[in-house]
Amino acid sequence: MRLSFGPETEAFRDELVAFLDEHTPPEARSAFDYEGKDDPDREIVPEWARRWQATLFDHGWMIPAYPPELGGRNATPVETLVYLEEMARRRIPRSLHFPGYAIVSPTLLEFGDEAQKKLVPAAVRGDTIWCIGMSEPNAGSDLAGLSTRAVVDGDHFVVNGQKVWTSYAMIAQKSMVYVRTDPEAPKHKGISLLIVDMDSPGIDVRPLRHITGAAEFAEVFFTDVLVPRENLVGGLNDGWRLTQGSLAHERGGLWVEGVCRLEQTVQSLVDLARRRGLEHDQGVRRQLAAMYELASSLRALGYKGFAGFAQGSSAPEHSYMKLATSEATKACFELGTRLQGAYGVVSDRDRGEENGRWVHGFFVNFANTIAGGSSEIQRNIIAQRVLGLPRG
Amino acid sequence: MDFTLTDEQQLLRDTAVALFAKECPAALVRAHIADPSAADPLTTRLREFVALAEGSLADLCLFLEPHGAAAAPGPFFPTVALFAPLLMAIEHELVPRVLDGELSGTVALAGADGEWRPNAEPVKTFVPEADRVDLVAVVDAGPSGPSVRVAAGGDARVRSVHTEDFSRRLFEVDASAAGGHTFPIAAGALDAVLERATVALAADMVGTARHLFDMTLEYAKERYQFGVPIGSFQAIQHKLADMSLEVERARGAVQYAAMTIDADDAERHRAVHVAKAAAGRAAVRAAKDGIQIHGGIGFTWEHDLHLFLRRAFGSEHWMGSTDWHHDRLADLLI
Repeated sequence: MRLSFGPETEAFRDELVAFLDEHTPPEARSAFDYEGKDDPDREIVPEWARRWQATLFDHGWMIPAYPPELGGRNATPVETLVYLEEMARRRIPRSLHFPGYAIVSPTLLEFGDEAQKKLVPAAVRGDTIWCIGMSEPNAGSDLAGLSTRAVVDGDHFVVNGQKVWTSYAMIAQKSMVYVRTDPEAPKHKGISLLIVDMDSPGIDVRPLRHITGAAEFAEVFFTDVLVPRENLVGGLNDGWRLTQGSLAHERGGLWVEGVCRLEQTVQSLVDLARRRGLEHDQGVRRQLAAMYELASSLRALGYKGFAGFAQGSSAPEHSYMKLATSEATKACFELGTRLQGAYGVVSDRDRGEENGRWVHGFFVNFANTIAGGSSEIQRNIIAQRVLGLPRG
Repeated sequence: MDFTLTDEQQLLRDTAVALFAKECPAALVRAHIADPSAADPLTTRLREFVALAEGSLADLCLFLEPHGAAAAPGPFFPTVALFAPLLMAIEHELVPRVLDGELSGTVALAGADGEWRPNAEPVKTFVPEADRVDLVAVVDAGPSGPSVRVAAGGDARVRSVHTEDFSRRLFEVDASAAGGHTFPIAAGALDAVLERATVALAADMVGTARHLFDMTLEYAKERYQFGVPIGSFQAIQHKLADMSLEVERARGAVQYAAMTIDADDAERHRAVHVAKAAAGRAAVRAAKDGIQIHGGIGFTWEHDLHLFLRRAFGSEHWMGSTDWHHDRLADLLI
């Protein structure tokens, strides 16, 4: 056990930092700053973000563990962790649309045929914007219960149904859509994965405003949409195991961004407490210290899990980290509202704190305790897969 | 940060797990309630490990986790975690004999308020094992700073402080009439000894929490109600998931704190408070939810669970509770 990684790793860090210092556009440095009310017309992926993602790709800094032709530099697991650390510490996004690089690329590289693999570089570089059709009105946590149908008709599938919570559907050129191809089979065994062009006739995208008023995702309706048979990814009715697709290289470091965000939120809470004149209030001090304790111990747990991951274990810490960082960050924002008394819900620019950042952040952070496996699902996973408890 | 254990560390941990499983069964902890000498064979067996006091704190913590999992009683902990480091800090001539396991010792520091901060009070409180050690190091605070006096154990007047934790015997010590040479110690050096001991205690607590959790997990798998294991119920599953999260993050916090101390890193002061507070939260939660999940059987004297419930609460309140460490941490943050 030691506090830092070896000199070669630190040299890698230095090279990355030098690159970031030179190339990071100012918009990327402030991409996560909260400016006030969500603007429903805000551009989801502005021009600077497209250029930045392409720059990262061209310099081998988009997904460091990938080879150069896929926007990487064959980085080791430890180097990848360092990369995620430095990006998160600086709050620099590498992309403003995750599905293409984080889900589509690993899924196609592992399960796609040669023609499908050719779609990967543009997905990682951000030249193609992708969305993922998973959740449906009646298939949320129970994703395998999805009912969007695809029926084979000659050279095509004919797709009918509805997806929901589909991020980036309004701007995406392509989508990966999970469909039911065998309604008679047990629910996990009748699912297939299709690549669908978003400009196909019969697709209707309706933006869905979320809890803060912003529209970042959409409902997607499919009416007799024709999809060529060669757009099937993997085997027919073998789509369920493809839902687990994520960047295997980065699985050991998925927690880094969550922990950094939590730590940064705790620091902002300390600043807020000072501005509100609460820095001598023992109750407030204890709550802030407890939050710091939580964040600090979770960072340690994350690194501990990484040590296991790097040695080939399945890194059960990921479920712990997802559950704990999302819940803790939400709790921090709630505490931020409480520190403001009557002003806790005020979002005026000229009154209250930071344009309503804290109450807004509290609302937004429900996304993290619900999406990607809700906290309750995470506890089920921990109980059943990590602790070996029987299914109820 | 690299948490990978070396082969030697792996071996040390395995050795400790096997040693405490064999030498410190719950029956020993029970026998020790009425007769403290029941722990003597364990103490003898642990002599060779007092030398861990001069190694890395990370190694000592790996050894102490199974120690806490067994709720191990006796003078080993005060000797290895408090007394030996304090004697090393003042370069006392007895250090080699202490590290050899020949002499045991304890530290008397806290005043009437029970806080481990130097004071000039003649009577010290919450001193572990004061009646069964060879030497007592008394820490006093004077106008010129803190000092240490090493007295023979028999020369101090000791009075038992009965706590609900049978596994850690605590005493009030009046050593004002006992002899012993007085050594000055720099405040920073004393702080370093106490920080080290606090993390060592936190490691012991993680072990206790882990053991409470393991007992409870096993019980949830084998206890049937309504025709199924109670561990198949989501209410129980979610409690166990949260318990294990607390234990795992406390373990990470302790290892991190040990690394910062070993590296003399600037983060160590915060990390010490984080470690003890996280370990306290984990131990208390594992104890409370452990008893609750065990139901009626966990409420009986016969079941071993309460031995570890007692150890968990005893450790939580000794050398600074979670609240106390949060307050100190706040002083460093705000």
